[in-house]
Amino acid sequence: MNEILDIRNVTKYYGSGSVVTKALDSISFSVEKGSFTAIMGASGSGKSTLLNVISTIDRVSAGEIMINGMFLNDLNEDELSAFRRDQLGFIFQEYNLLDTLTVEENITLPLNLKRVGLTETQRELKRVSEALGVGDQLKKFPYELSGGQRQRAACARAIITNPALVLADEPTGALDSKNSKALMQTFIMMNRSLGSTILMVTHDPVVGSYADRVLFLKDGRIWSELYRGERERREMYREIMTVSSALGGDNLAGNGGDGDAV
Amino acid sequence: MLFKLAVRNVRRQIGNYLIYFITVSMTVSLLFAVNNIIFSRELSAFSENMELMSEGLTAVTIFISLIVAFVLSYATSFMLRLRKREFGTYLTLGITRRNIVSIFVVETMIICIFALALGMIFGLFIYQGLMAVMMNLLEMEFALSAYSLSGIAFTVVLVICIFIISSLASALYLKKTSINELIHGDRKVERAVKRPAVWFTVTLVFFALFLGSIFACNYFCGIISEGGGAATGFFLTFVVMAVSLVLFHIGLSKSIVYILMKNKRLCVRGGNIFVLRQLSGTLSSSSVMIGFLAFLLLFSVVLSNISFAERALLKTSLERNVPYDIMYSADTGSEYAIPEDQAENIIEKYVKILDKKPYGLYTSGRSDFYGQTRYSGEGYEDTTDVFMPLSEFNLLCESLDCEPLTLDNEFFIIANIPEIQNCNMQDVIFEWNGKEYGYKGLSMQYPMFSYTFFYVVVPDEAVTGMEKVIDCIAYDAENGSFDASALREELSYDYITSDGYQSTACDYRIREYSRQYQNAQSAVLVVGALFVSAIFLLMAMAILALKTLSGLADDKKRYLVLYRLGMGSGEQSRTLFKQTFTFFIMPFAVAVLSSIPTAIITNNIVSTVGMDSLASRIYTIAAVIAAVFVIVYLLYYLATYLIAKRTVIYRNY
Ligand SMILES: Nc1ncnc2c1ncn2[C@@H]1O[C@H](COP(=O)(O)OP(=O)(O)O)[C@@H](O)[C@H]1O
Ligand SMILES: [Mg+2]
Repeated sequence: MNEILDIRNVTKYYGSGSVVTKALDSISFSVEKGSFTAIMGASGSGKSTLLNVISTIDRVSAGEIMINGMFLNDLNEDELSAFRRDQLGFIFQEYNLLDTLTVEENITLPLNLKRVGLTETQRELKRVSEALGVGDQLKKFPYELSGGQRQRAACARAIITNPALVLADEPTGALDSKNSKALMQTFIMMNRSLGSTILMVTHDPVVGSYADRVLFLKDGRIWSELYRGERERREMYREIMTVSSALGGDNLAGNGGDGDAV
Repeated sequence: MLFKLAVRNVRRQIGNYLIYFITVSMTVSLLFAVNNIIFSRELSAFSENMELMSEGLTAVTIFISLIVAFVLSYATSFMLRLRKREFGTYLTLGITRRNIVSIFVVETMIICIFALALGMIFGLFIYQGLMAVMMNLLEMEFALSAYSLSGIAFTVVLVICIFIISSLASALYLKKTSINELIHGDRKVERAVKRPAVWFTVTLVFFALFLGSIFACNYFCGIISEGGGAATGFFLTFVVMAVSLVLFHIGLSKSIVYILMKNKRLCVRGGNIFVLRQLSGTLSSSSVMIGFLAFLLLFSVVLSNISFAERALLKTSLERNVPYDIMYSADTGSEYAIPEDQAENIIEKYVKILDKKPYGLYTSGRSDFYGQTRYSGEGYEDTTDVFMPLSEFNLLCESLDCEPLTLDNEFFIIANIPEIQNCNMQDVIFEWNGKEYGYKGLSMQYPMFSYTFFYVVVPDEAVTGMEKVIDCIAYDAENGSFDASALREELSYDYITSDGYQSTACDYRIREYSRQYQNAQSAVLVVGALFVSAIFLLMAMAILALKTLSGLADDKKRYLVLYRLGMGSGEQSRTLFKQTFTFFIMPFAVAVLSSIPTAIITNNIVSTVGMDSLASRIYTIAAVIAAVFVIVYLLYYLATYLIAKRTVIYRNY
């Protein structure tokens, strides 16, 4: 199998002493190269925690995580930094881009950290900025961009190093539904045309319906799983809604309740 | 309720407040120490000169307190910015603006009370230290000095005034800021600098001007120390120097980042572009402050150098100006002169006379030598040349370890002011009693045996037939301190001046008296300069530290992004170092490097006045002062860096 990410029995506790939260409870799953996976679940179900342990920002309490053939448990802190730099791309809900840097400088920052030379940096910048349609915005500062443009710039930055895995935590969280959909089209494009493997956390069923595969979390466990297969996105959305109501998640039916909006 | 809230805030923010607190405490302790010196009983008992000193120091402390109040209110605005989110939240929670102002005032008050207490405790020690310096300068026995109630009260009053002024300023800031600005203040990105190229030109031009003003300063100092008048030029130079220093720093702060950003290869390396962008905002928005701080620091460096150099100069010049313990010198046949044996009886009451050397100065009634100087012609008709016989001159030199002269039908000029060196004395052929005497040499290095601008040493036979104009006696007295003021008082007499006024004069120069007077004078200068420099340095460092720390809340988010992008904690530290160090070094570098030209210029002055032996001491003094500045700077920087590192750098293990 061509697995980029393999998670086995990952458990994460927060706190110590008498008050301990079990944010992840013995989770196992894997992600294939070139796939687009969404992780859904109510607020507090452990989505961000899962993403944080995968992105090496947090350590697991038990279990193993393997990314691109490397076991994260074996790496020390410097190796983890280098690993994030070389293998992972990030898109977050907000404060993705550094406000003091221009869009161009933001996008090329991961290459700078990798000590890539000037000419190659310029070439890669051209490639991703054209692919993501932010070529006109390169000299601007983030505050001069709309929310959607900012997230696209963040996408460009996430993929400029050709990472093994792109991680996105509620990337549409600060966007309206029109911009959310546009951003998901961008994700699809990154996934299909640029070959990025994407793991995305969201609580929005509309956003989730763009993925090939959806994992449902509840109380730190995988509750259910959906594969798109040959289905239409509308159909996927309906399935997600069904699972969500079975899950009883409060936030899950959030902004996609109206079928027409899909 | 509000009080509780404020107490809790201070406790929670203690890390942020630490630097502020330490600076205020140190300032208080310095104020406390100096105020105690002003009111010190030991010193006022010492001599009447101390009154002058106290007045001088009082003026300095009040002036310094004003500056401290101004700087602290500026620093307080950073403290406010550090917490604007918190205050913003209070506002949205329905606490009124007035409540917030009172929370802030109460907080500042708590800090000031603690700082006052701690500062006074520190001050107890610093006072003893400064007194030790003072006693040493005044050559008094060191003993633990008593504290004065008035000194303590004066300190409390000053600190309360400082507190009120800076609180008012902060309250004004809070009143003027809208709720929205408070909450979202950090969203505002600092604007890019317009026309960096123009600013870069400004930088270069004013740097050149600054260098030029250093040379001009050296030039004017030279003229002044040679006795010429250049006060206006000197003053103008100083103004140009200050203005160009400030503008150079403003220009540099506004342009350096843009110049560096032109180098694309530098930018793409690691976190460099991040550092540059971080700096461009901070530097350009604080450019005026950086210029101002550079000025304060330069002022401190120069002032402390001058004060110590002046002290060294005074000490050496005393040996030169009053080479014997007591020196009598009066016009021959003066009607006021105290008879010799009577005067000696008075002297013996204070100090034992060991030896006496009478000598005299004679005039030819002509001006063969004065004719070469600018003290001839109209208005100087009465000025005639003054001569000293060789044997008397050598006798005076003998016990002072000065090289005696040998003359072979020659004369030797002893100059007491530098400009005589530039007159053409070698052209003079002095003819007296039918004999001709030629030029042997000229020196400024001999002690002052006479107070004329210069005099001519000639072989003994040459003074025969000259009129004796000045009677002199050089007394050697027993070593040790005595009440020189009282002795001088007894040897003084009242007389009527030519325009009919009554005046007091003394024909005896008492070395001990001059020394005590100079000591008092230089003690004021040294202690005052130390005090002013220390406060300026503290203020400058505190502003830099607080400004850096006030941006940390925003930096924290940025460093988290860097961390996620894969910048390890080592590289984060280096990035933070580059960012903070550049900011700290901006106002500091030129000011401290200026101690080199300062030392050189001081040295030039000293050697023009004929005291080359002081040179090595002046360089040592300059080096020590620079070292002290660098140490204080590094301490502040280190504290800031460590706090910043703890707050900003993200690591999960
Ligand atoms: N740093 C933390 N310390 C303590 N508990 C945490 C921390 N982060 C998350 N948690 C807890 O872990 C659980 C999962 O949180 P999270 O992963 O953020 O959920 P989601 O992203 O799905 O809303 C929650 O109960 C939350 O309170
Ligand atoms: Mg979350």
